Amino acid sequence: MLRHSFITFGIILVGVSGTLAKKESAIAPTAAKQKQLALVRVNVTGQSYDYFRPWQKKAPFSKRALGAVLSKGRVLVTADLVANQNYVELERAESGEKTAANVQVIDYEANLALLEPTEKTFLNGITPLEISPDTVVGDRLAAWQLEPSGALLATEGLVTTVQMMPYPIDIGEFLTYRVSIPMQYRENSYTVPLVKNNKLAGLLLRYDSRSQLLDAIPAPVITHFLKEAESQNYRGFPSAGFSFFSTRDPQLREFAGETGKNAGVYVTNVEAGTPAMKAGLQVGDVVTAIGNNEIDQNGNYVDRLFGKIEFTNLLTAHAYAGDVVPLHIQRNGKPMQVNLTLEHRDAKDYVSPPYNLDQPPRYYVLGGLIFQELSRQYLKEWGPNWQREAPQRLVYLDRFQSEFFPDRNRRVVILSQVLPANSTIGYDDLTYLTVTKVNGKEIKSLDDLAQAVKQPIEGFIKIETEEDPKQIELDAAQVAAEAPELQENYGISSLQRLQ
Amino acid sequence: MKPVFVTISVVLLLSPILEGQQSTPALPPVEPQVPGEQPGPSRSSPPGQAIVPVPVPIAPPKPNGPVQKSLVRITATSVEPDYRAPWNAGALQRGVGAGFVVSGNRIMTNAHVVANSRYVTVERDGDPNKYPATVQFIANDCDLALITVSAPDFFKNMIPLKFGGIPTLESTVSAYGYPIGGERMSVTTGIVSRIDFQLYTHSSVDQHLAIQISAQINPGNSGGPVMQDGKVVGVAFQGYSGDVAQGVAYMIPTPVINRFLKDISNGHYDEYPDLAITYAKLQNPAQRKFLGLKDDDRGVLVSSVVAAGPSDGILRSGDVLLAVDGHPIASDASVELEGERAQFEEVVERKFKGDSVKFDILRDKQPTKVTINLYKPWPYSIQGHSYDVRPRYVLYGGLLFQPLSLDMLEAYRSSDLRLRHFFEYFILEQIYLQHPDVIVLANILPDPINSYLAPYRGAIVDEINGKKIRTLDELAKAFAEAPERLVIRMIGDGPPLVLDRNKIQSARERIKTRYNVAKEQNLEERPASDAPKQANKT
Repeated sequence: MLRHSFITFGIILVGVSGTLAKKESAIAPTAAKQKQLALVRVNVTGQSYDYFRPWQKKAPFSKRALGAVLSKGRVLVTADLVANQNYVELERAESGEKTAANVQVIDYEANLALLEPTEKTFLNGITPLEISPDTVVGDRLAAWQLEPSGALLATEGLVTTVQMMPYPIDIGEFLTYRVSIPMQYRENSYTVPLVKNNKLAGLLLRYDSRSQLLDAIPAPVITHFLKEAESQNYRGFPSAGFSFFSTRDPQLREFAGETGKNAGVYVTNVEAGTPAMKAGLQVGDVVTAIGNNEIDQNGNYVDRLFGKIEFTNLLTAHAYAGDVVPLHIQRNGKPMQVNLTLEHRDAKDYVSPPYNLDQPPRYYVLGGLIFQELSRQYLKEWGPNWQREAPQRLVYLDRFQSEFFPDRNRRVVILSQVLPANSTIGYDDLTYLTVTKVNGKEIKSLDDLAQAVKQPIEGFIKIETEEDPKQIELDAAQVAAEAPELQENYGISSLQRLQ
Repeated sequence: MKPVFVTISVVLLLSPILEGQQSTPALPPVEPQVPGEQPGPSRSSPPGQAIVPVPVPIAPPKPNGPVQKSLVRITATSVEPDYRAPWNAGALQRGVGAGFVVSGNRIMTNAHVVANSRYVTVERDGDPNKYPATVQFIANDCDLALITVSAPDFFKNMIPLKFGGIPTLESTVSAYGYPIGGERMSVTTGIVSRIDFQLYTHSSVDQHLAIQISAQINPGNSGGPVMQDGKVVGVAFQGYSGDVAQGVAYMIPTPVINRFLKDISNGHYDEYPDLAITYAKLQNPAQRKFLGLKDDDRGVLVSSVVAAGPSDGILRSGDVLLAVDGHPIASDASVELEGERAQFEEVVERKFKGDSVKFDILRDKQPTKVTINLYKPWPYSIQGHSYDVRPRYVLYGGLLFQPLSLDMLEAYRSSDLRLRHFFEYFILEQIYLQHPDVIVLANILPDPINSYLAPYRGAIVDEINGKKIRTLDELAKAFAEAPERLVIRMIGDGPPLVLDRNKIQSARERIKTRYNVAKEQNLEERPASDAPKQANKT
């Protein structure tokens, strides 16, 4: 039904504008509309923190993109464009006029951010973009880029898939449009809007020039983000807190006591302190439906727009923190219902946080020993291939953190490396050790370490590690006396950052 | 020997976890996201990734010069076990190396020349015959072997070579063998460049004294004698491939050779014993004071003690080792032996199974003495290559279960994080206590009975029907005694693997026929968790 109306509309538009395009097209803007395109150039300069020298930042980077102008004077871009920004600048396409901008709301997990110009009138004269909510497989979308002159370059592409995929921060999965599209290089293309009939359908997430496949953050996710952004307290996307597995294997189904045809998914893990745990969901339960949506053996439900999609969509784009979601399950063959009250899980609420952006890393320098807390942000310092190149033991602890540290109320303190100095002679080669105790006190965070350091054992600071050498000692008085020289030698502005 | 767990450089093959695509947000990104900076701290080399020398393979012969009557060319046909299809015999290989006659009508060569061999022949200068030979003793932990020829007159005209001492640095040595570049025996000359502990790559888990020489050693020199003043001062055994380094070759020095010869004098090779501890140098003044040490540059700190090793219960983490068998240990772990400085492990290196070693230690600031009766702890064997054994495995319902080992990991080229962690930390995290065999569902032979089980591939078995499974034998027993239904729980948070016993029984013949499997299990080679293997052959 939807397709029909789209085609009709397309033909009418084409007829009116007098172009020769015969097939339906998503490229609509005419010469008249170009002057008021709902696009602005967004130029970002930023600096990431250096996780190996956590008292300093790295050299500045710059990224240039196009932002979609939305109502109420807001510009929509991706979060990874403006993460760790120092300065964000908006530039009008047609006039080149510039102004600074602030990041109003940012969601790293859904990779979306809203900017507002410091000059309130900056976006005057631009008709904002509305959202087009009903893109489906087979639709054509246009990616909007700008020529150096400010003219629009619209490239058409075909939506080949709509499915749940991981986003860059890799926490859970989000709905994604995959579009086959021959993008061209133009400046300001770090992210660009995708439109359908002049309405915003998505935002570029990543592009692979070899396969010519573009992944886009879709309208449903954007809509969710904007709706949450209206409230004073942005709460992000919720999560349920359980892992699951398909029930394709008939022997597994039989083991789970499943009766009847309704397959569902097998719950393999329920994490402590999550909505699933609080609702009483158990390992071995089979989730057969969420609300009125039945879940098949592969974990898919039938979405009215997209067809078969993994049910996690019902708990992300379609749900908000605070929602009560009825989960229909089978427990040992008996049908039951548990009600999940969804929550957003904060990045801080992990033992090894999945990201740390726009915030400085915590650290503590003691006599040349650099202590930090394990996080995925730290591991990403090893580059795009960090999962193979970062210290594998730390990668292991991060990956399986819910298995090893079910009590989430702690961090993993690591002795990251050692700056050669008088007090650390002989310790120079130590790297990536996990700290268990300091001065006999168990260490679960840098705060614990900072406290324990204040109580040396007969003048010595004893640090115990999980790995060899298992123990190292420092002379407390020597460390204090040589601190200024250490700071001077290595350019350390402050020996600790704990906030 | 200081056993070292090896960081295997593996190739990403079937990676179940990692998503390949990290495509750029737009094409191409206008500015690099992290301008030109290399990730990682600025250290000269990443820890644990030492370039591993390649054992020198082998090639053709002919003699010339003073060792003509001592040198032989050895041709060995071997069968390499196939860890991916362990019921198969394995791949046939043929290699050529060198050897030399020693006293007692025996020929010395490298273990890697004759390891896994099924048929060995020996040739010598001026004699058109090929002589069948048998392996008498083989030491895989120090890459040495003794073979003998049964033909009665073979040794009559051969001159056994004698052994010298450790040549001095910078002195000249000559290496004899049959490397590429011609058919006849070749001689190359070089100097002694370095004397140090090196990894012996044949096992890849043992470190012993090795002498680096600048003589050009190439495939074909393996097992050949390196001479100085008419005596053997080493056996050529490994070197770097040309694109890594040139003129860097290694020979097994006479202390290692003499120890080997003494070890076998009782009729079998008992392997190197090991203290099975880790230690740290004590070069930090504050740490020394804390431990109650004098300012005398002596002592190393015991970091960990392997529970399956001989030091368990005798040494503790935190002890300071001050002297070994009366030799004072310096804070850099060296001792003085015969006028030279060497690592203190060298004292233990010279011991034999059943020998003991005494330490003067400081414990909680109190001096005391301990005695340790030495043996080789079994867990290290899975971290090294195995030879002359058939892989252990259990095939059930098309599911192939194998114990984790270096050979198995290399065969499957697994990049699974958990498997690699279990391998590398098998000893350091005492994983062997819970899992003497780390049993991996290594492979699945597709059959209707296991159509849906592919996701479990690479997982480690934890329990069957509620009972912990610690060894492959226990696994086989659980399968043999299974009730109607088998519920196998793997390590990690996946669902249980559920099998119907009757269905598996009915599928057995079908799977055996389809995949040409003769034997559904092999538990026979003595598993790693038993006493160390006696690797001798008669």
